Amino acid sequence: MTGWFLLLGRRRQEDTVFLLTILLFLTFSFVLHGFLTTGNIIALLRSVALLGILAVGMGIVVIGRGIDLSLVAILAISVAVFLNLLGQSYPIGIALLLALVGVIAVGALNGVLTAYAEMPAIFATLATGTFVYGLGRSQFLTQDVIYLPPGHDLFTAFGNARLASIPVEVVVFAFILVGAFLWLRFSKYGRYIYLIGDNLNAARNAGLPVRPVIVLQYVVSALLAFVAGLIMAAGIHSMNTRIVNSSLLYDVILVVVIGGIGLSGGKGGVRNLIVGTLLIGILLNGMTILDISDLYQNLIKATVLLAALIVDGVLNPRDEQTDQQGDI
Amino acid sequence: MKLSESLARLRYGLFPDHLVGEVLSKRWTDNAIPLVFLLATVIGVGTAIPDFFSLASLADASRQLGEFAIVVMGLTIVMLGGGIDLSVGATFALSAFASVAVIYIMGGPIWLALLAALATGAVVGAANGVLIGYLRLRAFLTTLVTFTILHAIYSILVVNFSAQVQLADVQTPIWDFIGDGGVAGFPISLIVAVLVAILAHVFISRSRLGWHVLAVGGSRRSAFNAGISVRRTVFMTYMISGLCSGLAGFLIGARLSGVGPGTGAGLEILALTAGVVGGNSLGGGRGSIAKGLMGAVIVLILTNGLIRLGFTSGTNQMVLGVVLALAVFLDVRWLKNRSKVLAKVYVAPVYSALPSTPSAEPDSGSPFALNDRLAETEFIGLGEIEGPEDVILDEDDNLYCGTRNGEVVRFLAPDYKQWEVFAHTGGFPLGLAFDRAGALTVCVGAMGLYSVARDRTVTRLSAETNRTPFSILDDARLRDPNDCDIAPDGRIFFTDSTTRYDAHDWALDSVESRPTGRLLVYDPRNGRTRTVLRGMSYLNGVCMAHDGQSLFLAESWACRVHRYWFDGPKAGRLDCVIAAMPGYPDNINRASDGGYWMAWLGMRTPSYDLALRKPGMRKRMTRRLPQDDWLFPNINTGGVVKFDENGAITEVLGNLGGHSHPMVTSMREHKGALYVGGILNNRIGRYRLEGADPSWTGMRSYWGEGR
Amino acid sequence: MPASKTALALATAGFLAAAPAFARNDPGPATYDAALKDKTVVLVPMSTGEDLAQGWAHYVGDAVKAAGGKFEVRDPNWNTEAGAQAITEAINSKPAVIIVQAPDLQSYSKLFRRAQEAGIYVIQVDNPTNYPTEAFVGSNWTKLGELEAQAVINGCGPNSSKEIGLIQGDQTNSSSLDQYTGIQNVLKDHPDFKIVAQPDSNWDASTARSVATTLIQQHPNVCGIIDYWDATAQGTAAAIRAAGKTGKITLATTGGGEQADCNLLDTGVIDALVATDVPNQSRDVITTIKFLMQSGIKPGTVKTWLYTPEHITTKADIKNGTCWNLKDFAKSK
Repeated sequence: MTGWFLLLGRRRQEDTVFLLTILLFLTFSFVLHGFLTTGNIIALLRSVALLGILAVGMGIVVIGRGIDLSLVAILAISVAVFLNLLGQSYPIGIALLLALVGVIAVGALNGVLTAYAEMPAIFATLATGTFVYGLGRSQFLTQDVIYLPPGHDLFTAFGNARLASIPVEVVVFAFILVGAFLWLRFSKYGRYIYLIGDNLNAARNAGLPVRPVIVLQYVVSALLAFVAGLIMAAGIHSMNTRIVNSSLLYDVILVVVIGGIGLSGGKGGVRNLIVGTLLIGILLNGMTILDISDLYQNLIKATVLLAALIVDGVLNPRDEQTDQQGDI
Repeated sequence: MKLSESLARLRYGLFPDHLVGEVLSKRWTDNAIPLVFLLATVIGVGTAIPDFFSLASLADASRQLGEFAIVVMGLTIVMLGGGIDLSVGATFALSAFASVAVIYIMGGPIWLALLAALATGAVVGAANGVLIGYLRLRAFLTTLVTFTILHAIYSILVVNFSAQVQLADVQTPIWDFIGDGGVAGFPISLIVAVLVAILAHVFISRSRLGWHVLAVGGSRRSAFNAGISVRRTVFMTYMISGLCSGLAGFLIGARLSGVGPGTGAGLEILALTAGVVGGNSLGGGRGSIAKGLMGAVIVLILTNGLIRLGFTSGTNQMVLGVVLALAVFLDVRWLKNRSKVLAKVYVAPVYSALPSTPSAEPDSGSPFALNDRLAETEFIGLGEIEGPEDVILDEDDNLYCGTRNGEVVRFLAPDYKQWEVFAHTGGFPLGLAFDRAGALTVCVGAMGLYSVARDRTVTRLSAETNRTPFSILDDARLRDPNDCDIAPDGRIFFTDSTTRYDAHDWALDSVESRPTGRLLVYDPRNGRTRTVLRGMSYLNGVCMAHDGQSLFLAESWACRVHRYWFDGPKAGRLDCVIAAMPGYPDNINRASDGGYWMAWLGMRTPSYDLALRKPGMRKRMTRRLPQDDWLFPNINTGGVVKFDENGAITEVLGNLGGHSHPMVTSMREHKGALYVGGILNNRIGRYRLEGADPSWTGMRSYWGEGR
Repeated sequence: MPASKTALALATAGFLAAAPAFARNDPGPATYDAALKDKTVVLVPMSTGEDLAQGWAHYVGDAVKAAGGKFEVRDPNWNTEAGAQAITEAINSKPAVIIVQAPDLQSYSKLFRRAQEAGIYVIQVDNPTNYPTEAFVGSNWTKLGELEAQAVINGCGPNSSKEIGLIQGDQTNSSSLDQYTGIQNVLKDHPDFKIVAQPDSNWDASTARSVATTLIQQHPNVCGIIDYWDATAQGTAAAIRAAGKTGKITLATTGGGEQADCNLLDTGVIDALVATDVPNQSRDVITTIKFLMQSGIKPGTVKTWLYTPEHITTKADIKNGTCWNLKDFAKSK
C-alpha cells in the first residue's frame, strides 16, 4: 500500500482526503440506517460512476497541464444530437457514427486551439464548450430536453444491464479506470502526457511530439464525455441540454483536484481519481439519506472542499521562487 | 545631386515612416484588436437592428452596462495581478440581497443598504484574498469553491426571506431613483461606473499599489524578489474585486427592486469573457481598465443584440464562443508576433549624404592620414574589464572607467595593476566627468545622469527632460545618455544620442541615420533638466572648451563637430567647426596644449557612405535580411585625433592593424600620457605622449591649481 | 391545420356569410380587424427551449399574425438578467403587448410597471409574480400539487403502505414551493398518507435518478412518488425501473402535455400526468390580448387572473388529441 502512495507525488493531500473518506464512510455506516447495505453501496457507486468517468477525462487533461471546460457541453450536445438523429429515424449505427465524428472533431478542436494556436486551455475550452452548446442547441435541436424515441430496446437494455448485480455504469467506470491506469502508466503516449504536463518546453526540446499528444488528450476526454453521456441517456432515456448550466462541470473539477491531481500538471493518477470520486459519492449519498435539501448539500459539499483546499494549502505551501508564472 | 537622390531625400525625409514603428512600440496599441472588435460589433449590431442605438435604448443598455462594467473592472484588476475571480457572480447576487434585505426587511436607509452591499463584497473579497493571497491557494479552484458556497448561501437566503421582501411595502424614492433615474439622461449606474473606471484607471496606471499589482501579475517571482509584498498585493486585488461586485450588486438591487434565484447567474463567465475579449491576458501583467471596459461593451452589445434579433436559444452562446476564441487567438498571436513585426518595421532609414572629406589613407599627406602609433600602447586591466566606454583620472591619478556590467571600476595608482568596483550604478556607465567637489558624474546608458560621491554613494541626478509636444515616443525619457561635461558654474551638459533606440542598439541608429540626438543640461541649483539642442545625428561627445563658455559637440553619424556657446557674448550660437571627417567621432576631451582630443569609433567606407544615400535600399535590407547580414558602419578601425580651437587637425593617432585599439570611444590626457578606452574593448590603453606637459591633469584644467 | 386556425377560418367564413345583413351598422368586424393590425406582440419566455414556450409561440403567434399583427419572441435562455434586458429592450421598441413568463416572483416587477407606464399591456404566463398586471394566464401551481397528490393517493390505493416520496425541483422556484403547498393541502385530508423523503433533483434527470434510487433503497415500501417535472421524472422512472418496482410505485408528475408526455404515459414510464393545457392556455392569452386591444383600457388599471383548468391524465385517458404535438407545428409552417 505504501508503495502505491510513494509512486507519485503530492501524497499528503491525497492521504488527507483518503483519511477523510474513510472517516466519513465509517461515520455514515454507524450513524445512518441503511447506509452500509449492498444495495446502497451499489446505488452509491452508480450515482458517482458518471461523475467518475468525466473525472477520468478531466484528470488526463489536467495531468497534461490543461483543463477541459467543454466536457459537459460535449456530453450534453453530442448525446442530444444522437438522440435527435434517432428521433429522425436514423439507424442507431449511423447516428452513433455521426455523433462520434462530431465528438472527435470537437476534442481535436480543443487540442488544436491549445496546442497549435497556443491559447490558454481555460479559454480555448471555455470558448469551444460555449460554441458547441450554442451550435448544437440552435442549429440541431429545437428543445432543451431530447427524449429517446420509443423502439430502441437494445439501447435501453444496455442502460439497465447488470453484471453480477453490478450496474453497467459501474462496470464501464471500472473498465475506464483500469484502461486509463494502464494507458497512463505503461503506454508511450500516456507517459508523454506526464512529461508534457511537467514541463512542456523540456518535453518539446527532448523531441516529444508535444502538439499531437495535447490534441490526443483532448480527444480522449471528449470521447469519455460522450461515453458518460450515452450511459446517462441509456439510463434516463433522455438528455437535458440544460445540464451545461448545472454545477456538474465544477463537481468534475473538484473531484479531480480533491483527489490530489494538481492543476499545475504532471502529477497524480487514477488512484487520485478514485479517492476523489469516492469522497464526493459518500458525501452525496449520505446527505441524500439524511434528506438534506439540495441547497444545503451544495453548501456542505463546497465547505468540505474548501477545508480540503485549505489543509492542502497549509501542508503544501506554494513557493514564490519555484512557482510557475501564469499558473492559476 | 542626382534627381533620384533628391526624390529619395524627399520621400524618406518628409514621409514619417518611423511613426509606424513608434506607434507599434506603444503599449496602448494592444488596444487595437479589442477596439476593432468593438467597432465591428457596434457596426454589425447597429446595422442589423436599426434602432439599437437609439437614445432610449442606449440609456437602458448603459444602465445594465454600468453594473456589468463595474464587475468586469474588479475582475480585470484581479486578472492584472495574475489571478482570476470566479466568485463575482455569487458576490454580486449576495450583495444585491444584502441591500434589498436592508431596504425591505429591516426598513433601513439607503446608505445602510449601500454599506451592507459593500461590506458583503468586502468580506467575500477578504476571504478570497486571505485564501489566495496569504494561504496562496490556487485562484481558479478557490474562487470556484467560494462561488459554490456563496451561491448556496444566497439560494438559502432567497428561499427563506424572499417572501418577506416581496410582501414588504416600502416606498423609497431615492432607492427607486438609483434604480430608474439618472442625471441628464445618464443612468446612475453608468455614472457610478465611469467614476469607478476613472478611479481604477488612476489606481492601476498612476499609483504605487497599482504598479505593484502589475508587477506581481507580470512576474510574481521578480516582484517578490524586488521586495514587493506579493501576498498583500494579491489580497488587495481580490478585495477590490469583491467591493466592485458589491457595488454592482447594490445597483442591480435598486434596478430590479429585489432579487431572485437567477440573479447573477452566469455572470462570472460573461465577465471573464469580457475581460479576455478586451485583451487582458490571463496570467496577469498585461492589460488595462480600458480594455476591461471595451470587453464589457462588446459582450453586452453582442448578447443583447442577439436576444433582440430573436434568434433561438444557443445562437447567443455560439457567437460568444466564436468571439471568445477569436479574441484570445488574436491576442495570443499579437503578443507573440508584435515584437517580430516591430523589429522588422521599426528601422526607418532616411537619406543622409556625408560630404566628401580628405583621405585617411596612411601617407596620403592629408591631415587625417592614419598611422600606427596607438599600436605602442601598454594595456591596463587586459581581459579583466568589459567595455570601458569612457575613462577618467582623479587628482590622485586613480583611473576610472565604466563597464558593461553596470559598474564603475577604479584602477589604483600608480601601477594600475589592482582594481576595485568603485560603485554599482546598473545600466551601462558611459561618459564620465569630475565636478568641482570631486564627485564623479556618470552618464548611464538606458538610465540617466548619475553622480557618485567620493564616499561612493550613487545619486540619480536626472532621468527625464521636457517632453516634446505630440511626440509619440516618450522623449522625456533618457534612452542613451552618452557623454557629459561640467560648466564652471556646475551645470552639467550631457548628450542623449538618440530618442529612437536603446543604448545597446546604437548601431541601428546609424542604419536609420535619423537625427534625433539631443544636448541636455542639468542644473544642480533647481534639479531640472532641459533640452538645449535637438535633431542632431547621434550626438555623442561633449567637451567644455577652455574658455568655459562653449562646448564642442560630436555628431557621430554625420561626422561633424560643432561648437556651441551657452554663455558669454556669443551665447546660443552654434558653429560647425569640423564639417567633414573620414571617421565617426565619439568623445572629445581637453588636451594639455589647449587643443582637444577626439576619439574616432570607426572609419567611413565608400560602400556605407553610398548606402546612406540609398534609404530605400537600407529599408529593404532591414526587412529582408537577417541582422547579421546588414551593412553597418565600419568600427574595426578607429583612432584618436587632436584639433585646435578652430577645428584644424593637429595630430592623428591610429592603429592600422587594429590589434591594440580597433575602436576608440574615449581618451584622457593625464600627466603626459593618453589613456584610451573603447566600448567593445577588454582593456584600457596608455600611450606616452612625447612633449606633453607632464604635470597637466584634467582636474586642474577644469577646477584650478588647487586640485 | 390546428384547431385554432380552423376555428378562425370558420369564424371568418361565418362573418362573410352574414355580412350583407349587418354590414351598415355593425362596428364589430372593423374594430376586430383594427385591434391588432400592425401591432406588435412580444413574448419573453424563460427559454424557447421548453415545450410550453414553443406551444405559446405557436398558438399565440399564429393568432396574432392572423389578426394582422406582428409577433416576436425573445429568448433569454434561462438567464434572468438577459430576460430583464430583453423586456427593457422590448419596452423601448413600443409593442402593444408583452407576454412574459417570469422566472421568479420579484425580478421583473419593476419592469412590468415601466411597461405599463409606457402604454404597453403586460400579460404574465405560467409563473405568477408579486406584481399583478392586466392578466395572469397560467396554472395554479398549488392546484397542480393537489392534483399530483390526489393522483398518487389514487394510485397507491387504500390498502398500500401509504408512504409517498417527493422528488422536488429546488427550494427556490415558486412553482416548486407551490406544488409542495398543494401536496400538503391534500395530505391534510388523508392523514394516513405520509411523505417519507423529499429530496431535490435540482431539475436534473440524473440527479433525480440517483436521489430516487436512494429513496427507494431507504424506503422499500414506498407506493408513490411525485416528481415535480416530466423531464426529471424520466430519471425517477429509471430508478423505479432499476429497482424492479415498475407498476408497484405510482409516479405522478406535471408536464406541458406535449406528445412526449403521452408517450411516457403510454409506455408506463409515468403513471399520472397533471398537464398544462397549452392550447387552451394560449387561447386564453389570445382572447385577453384581443379584449385588451379593443377595450381602450389604460395599461395598469385592471388586473385579471385566468387559471387554466387542469386535470389528471392517466394511461387510460389517452385519446387522439389528448396531447398536442410539436411536430405538427413544423408541418403546419
